[in-house]
Amino acid sequence: MREKPSGADLLDIARDVLRNDLLPALPEENRYQALMIANAMAIVMRQLAAGEAGETNEQTKLETSLGIKGSLEQLNSTLANRIRSGDADGPEIWQALHDVATAKVAESNPKYC
Amino acid sequence: MGLSASDIAEKLSGYLGQISGGPVEVSSVVRLSGGAIQENWALDVIVDQGDWAGTHQLVMRCDAKSGVSTSHSRAQEFALLRAARAAAVAVPEVCLKCDDASVLGRNFFLMHRVGGVAAGHKLVRQTNMPELAIELGQNLARIHRLKPPCEELAFLGPPPDHPARAAIETYRGYLDALDDAHPAIEWGLRWLDLHAPSPSGVTLCHRDYRTGNYMVNDGKLVAVLDWEFAGWSDPLEDIAWLCAKCWRFGVDGLEAGGIGSREDFYKGYETAANHVIDRAAVYYWEVMAHVRWAVIACQQAARHVSGEERSLELALTAHVVPELELQILRMTEPKHA
Repeated sequence: MREKPSGADLLDIARDVLRNDLLPALPEENRYQALMIANAMAIVMRQLAAGEAGETNEQTKLETSLGIKGSLEQLNSTLANRIRSGDADGPEIWQALHDVATAKVAESNPKYC
Repeated sequence: MGLSASDIAEKLSGYLGQISGGPVEVSSVVRLSGGAIQENWALDVIVDQGDWAGTHQLVMRCDAKSGVSTSHSRAQEFALLRAARAAAVAVPEVCLKCDDASVLGRNFFLMHRVGGVAAGHKLVRQTNMPELAIELGQNLARIHRLKPPCEELAFLGPPPDHPARAAIETYRGYLDALDDAHPAIEWGLRWLDLHAPSPSGVTLCHRDYRTGNYMVNDGKLVAVLDWEFAGWSDPLEDIAWLCAKCWRFGVDGLEAGGIGSREDFYKGYETAANHVIDRAAVYYWEVMAHVRWAVIACQQAARHVSGEERSLELALTAHVVPELELQILRMTEPKHA
């Protein structure tokens, strides 16, 4: 059994130290780098919390929309080709893409509105 | 090999000394932030005699060590800055260019340094700036007065017959070169294909005219920077790029680059251009703006992922793609019958 705290908790406390203790002490020219690191850690934390749910949902949605089975790479590639050739212009395709993008934004930048 | 400040001071003082015919002292050399493809250095130069006698605050712009890119060369950027200045666009005044790589090991040019703030996240902190929005509109209209053919800008190549269709084709090609497929961006490109307006004319376009790429001092526009993507295109591309949601630095209520209202920006443009902006066509080009930025973001991410250039900034750019995709989809939702 792994030691507690979990990796997610470690990231959380490490990010707090970065933001609360290190950031105010950094010279102006390094502030942006520190903010980028904090942002990267936050994305990782949200991905850890979401687990595989997002990609599993994406797979299901794409399989339903396309009527085929396959890996996420294959499904995305097929969908991209169909859209480009004009074979996937319908609202149900838009809805699937919108759902997938919304789930990804919840991990990459949940404040986006 | 990277350039050091002392290298630059020594080599440039020798080079400028030869040109001016007397002693030249490069008294301060400081690397400026920004620019993965180009480097910018602030120089203080004291010239003893000749036409340039006196003290000058300059910026040296040169290629970074990994000089592989699709953007313009320094010599071409020099020509663009000169042409823009002749058209009364607010740009840094260029001094000289050097195509002799034996001087510094890479090509460079010198321009006069302008004071002010360019960083987007600093500018958009300062609430609504209507005067700046108007000035940005006026300046853009002046850029768009430059039309092909133009001998000194011949390196820009022939103007596209249909800039929107040319852009769609280019971005599809860029996506094809990437490992992963991007159906949401393809959706945007398909919409752009189906809704392409007839071209409204081709002019010089800056093609990166946005907050972060111009310098502001005391609320006034002092210089438009970063001309490396300039080319012949539909002027609406520039108008839409400045207004696109992805370049407002989070200040969505100020639709002109997060610094002012769209109508003030349009007012400045329309007054200087003496024609009315086609609002519906700007919407089209704002979809294009999000598609373009999404494609570029995917390319930047690939540079990190492939190991070609490991970089936290490039890595994080990958995670801007989902919100760009979401915005593309919101702007292109099919109408329910």
